[in-house]
Amino acid sequence: MSPEPPISRRTMLAVTSGSLVVGSAGCLETLGFGDPDCDFVDQADTSTAAFAWDDLDDLEGELIVYSGRTSDQIYPIFRCLEEHYPDFTVRVDWGSNEEQLNKLRQEGAGTEADLFYSQDSSALASLAAEGYTQPVSHDVRDIVPADIRDPDGLWTATSGRVRAVQYNTDLVDPAELSDDIFAYAEDDRYAGRIATRPNSGSFLAFIHAMFDLHGRDETEWWVESMVEQQQVELYGGGSNMARAVADGDVEIALGNQYYAARLIENDPTTPIGLEFTRNDAGALFNVAGVAVTDAAGNASLANETVKHLLAAEGQHFFVRVNGEYPVIDGIEYVGDLPNPDALESPRYNLSQLIDFDEVNQILTTYNMRV
Amino acid sequence: MSTSARPTLEIPDDHWSIGLLLICAAIAAAVISPLVWVFWQASQVDLEQAIELTTMSQTLGIIPRSIALMVSVTILSMIIGGPLAFLTGRTDLPASRFWTITAALPLVIPSYIGAFAFVSAFGPHGEFTDLLGIDVPTIAGFWGAVLVITLYTYPYVFLTTRAALLSMDASHVDAARTLNATRLEAFRRITMPRIRPAIAAGALLVALYALADFGTPAFMRLEVFTSAIYWEWGFGNIEFTALLAIQLLTVAAVVLAIEARVGREVKPGASGTGTRFRLGWLRWPATIALAFLAFLTLVVPVVIFGIWLTRDPSVGAGVAFRPTFAINSLYLAAAAALVAVIMAVPVAYYAARDGGILSRLFERATYVGFAVPGIVIGIALVYFGANLMPALYPTIPLLIFAYVVRFLPQAVGITRSAVLQVDERYSEAARTLNASRFGSFRRVMLPLIVPGVVAGGGLVFLTTIKELPATLMLQPAGLETLVTVIWHANETLSYAQAAIPALVLIIVSGLSMLIIIRQERYHVT
Repeated sequence: MSPEPPISRRTMLAVTSGSLVVGSAGCLETLGFGDPDCDFVDQADTSTAAFAWDDLDDLEGELIVYSGRTSDQIYPIFRCLEEHYPDFTVRVDWGSNEEQLNKLRQEGAGTEADLFYSQDSSALASLAAEGYTQPVSHDVRDIVPADIRDPDGLWTATSGRVRAVQYNTDLVDPAELSDDIFAYAEDDRYAGRIATRPNSGSFLAFIHAMFDLHGRDETEWWVESMVEQQQVELYGGGSNMARAVADGDVEIALGNQYYAARLIENDPTTPIGLEFTRNDAGALFNVAGVAVTDAAGNASLANETVKHLLAAEGQHFFVRVNGEYPVIDGIEYVGDLPNPDALESPRYNLSQLIDFDEVNQILTTYNMRV
Repeated sequence: MSTSARPTLEIPDDHWSIGLLLICAAIAAAVISPLVWVFWQASQVDLEQAIELTTMSQTLGIIPRSIALMVSVTILSMIIGGPLAFLTGRTDLPASRFWTITAALPLVIPSYIGAFAFVSAFGPHGEFTDLLGIDVPTIAGFWGAVLVITLYTYPYVFLTTRAALLSMDASHVDAARTLNATRLEAFRRITMPRIRPAIAAGALLVALYALADFGTPAFMRLEVFTSAIYWEWGFGNIEFTALLAIQLLTVAAVVLAIEARVGREVKPGASGTGTRFRLGWLRWPATIALAFLAFLTLVVPVVIFGIWLTRDPSVGAGVAFRPTFAINSLYLAAAAALVAVIMAVPVAYYAARDGGILSRLFERATYVGFAVPGIVIGIALVYFGANLMPALYPTIPLLIFAYVVRFLPQAVGITRSAVLQVDERYSEAARTLNASRFGSFRRVMLPLIVPGVVAGGGLVFLTTIKELPATLMLQPAGLETLVTVIWHANETLSYAQAAIPALVLIIVSGLSMLIIIRQERYHVT
């Protein structure tokens, strides 16, 4: 050991100066998506819609969005809005839907967010019920159907999706599939072949809707029978489950249409197909949507942005680019799924999706959880 | 722990000790502050619900399963990490620096990448089955989780043990050998007592990590205690989440108490001289074992990413890779490592040298943040930030603080074992030469513990660079790092887009390891 060790100071200097150099170089930059294709803005048919971007006020200033949706589903439209309005910028805080919900609750009045963009109406309905959001303007309430928004406009849908039955097209004959969600819990044919993902907002909304539409006993029976009799396989992720269906690890899965559509988009030969149940919770029409936060620093900008999402161009984006359903009358659906009219979703007001304690209790009792 | 004296609660009377006590108290208070929120939230649960929640977790059998997972992972990690440390630190292994890096690197691979790669690579529909044309077994369930967590956490034991071996005076071993002790006996009687605290410190980190990990068990479809925490989190039942986190902490407290008993007795030594163990023909099996391990932990995920990259021609259409992601990651990790090291040295030094109840309490307190899942620390700081410190929320300093809360013990444990190895007589000698307490600390103690401090900073650096839950929650909107971009790709099912940032993560971390290890060598040789 040398009496005057040069190393300690050198080490410290190296570490310190290293981090300082990096620090000065590390500026904040937004997520590096390529320039999105904004052709949909011009392609949108504005003649039948309630309004188009040109009918609306210009967007100006900075909007802070907390997103529980994935970046591919909303970033392009925000980028195109930025392109359309040079004085408009969007800063997005990305996270999972549950994370953003918990975060907004903990932040309360201290939140930075102007707008919460959720992939699931129950998160919006809960936040609204707890007083964390403020009403959107009347013209929004006038054009969005009452089933898929808050009665007072404390949140609104922006695009729709539907619960579906995913199946492996090599292993399952579509004729085998039932259009009754209760058959999947009852019929022996499905035992040991079926899976679901119980931790998604969409699944919880589905159980909640089953509870409201068909009653507690039926719901409890369904959950119990799925677990005890049908030996349902439980997955923790929607993509894993769709992958497992495509691989044939499991033949049938109850989930969102989105994941299967995504696999087919990546590889059209993927052996995965979709069927829908009729007039029961299994075909629940659920929505992604937005709420203006009660503490929004720029509520009028948030409000105006919401209108842009509901305008012809916004709706056209959700249909064309995301493969979702429109939520406004007068927007044409084009895509591989059944037309919204052909879809026999139950009538259900999504504002009811607020208290999930009983859903949790039922799922826990029969251990349908991951 | 000195074996002779029982710990006592003594209030020191000299300035140096009082100052040290106050600094350590402040650090401990800062890092356990998020717990105030956790207890406050948990106290919102009424008794009936609390009992219901507790019986629920018992009926699900998740506590025993979590403990079994933790114990298995810890034992396996010691079996892998200990010998590897010896091989790279004390023998004439060829290319030992290279193998040191490959053996440490698994630490930077987040479990959601490692586990995901294993799930994708193995099994009847896995990439390897496609690639090799033979059926490779599925990796899943309890043993799948044990395997994957072990492969990505054994570096804790490896790095702490290695640091201890490097700063140990191996001439004692030579002396023992000249006294006709067998190699095994010399190891058992000379080396082992000196490196035991370091092994224990590393094993403690592995144990707490395995207990609080969520990603890997989720991928392996194994329901463990953290699954219950995430389940309630998904329902927005934040007070249940908090209550379950406290249950998890009580298990962690038992682990901390066990480690406190085995990890303290130590025979001090001095600088790292002495002959290296000659491997002879053993160098080949040793090299093959290291290569196999590197293959499993590093090559498997890289190959999987490579396959995705070649398969998906649309890469670049979505999340384009930008160097800023890497710079942001490096910057945050370096800052967190620096702050953690600065905070770890006083706590570790005080705990190793004082032996009183307070010093040990402060040191143990730093582990609390590590034993709680990242979402819990993250959301607690969200509450504090938004409601009590709006000027700091959401800012980079708060994010770095979150990293320090989560990872400080990694630097504390390894630094403490380094301090324990230093013969107290060196400091005494310096003081008889009229050096001040601080002077003797700076000129005698600090240089001797540099390998430990550097390794501790390295651990914090590597784990910060892969940290996800707190990063997602506390990052200022618009600040993206390598892991958040990987997360985006994962969320949007565009796995190919995870390939480039994941490869950059591995390369950048590998280069950083190289720098860290050079610092360590400079001192030793």
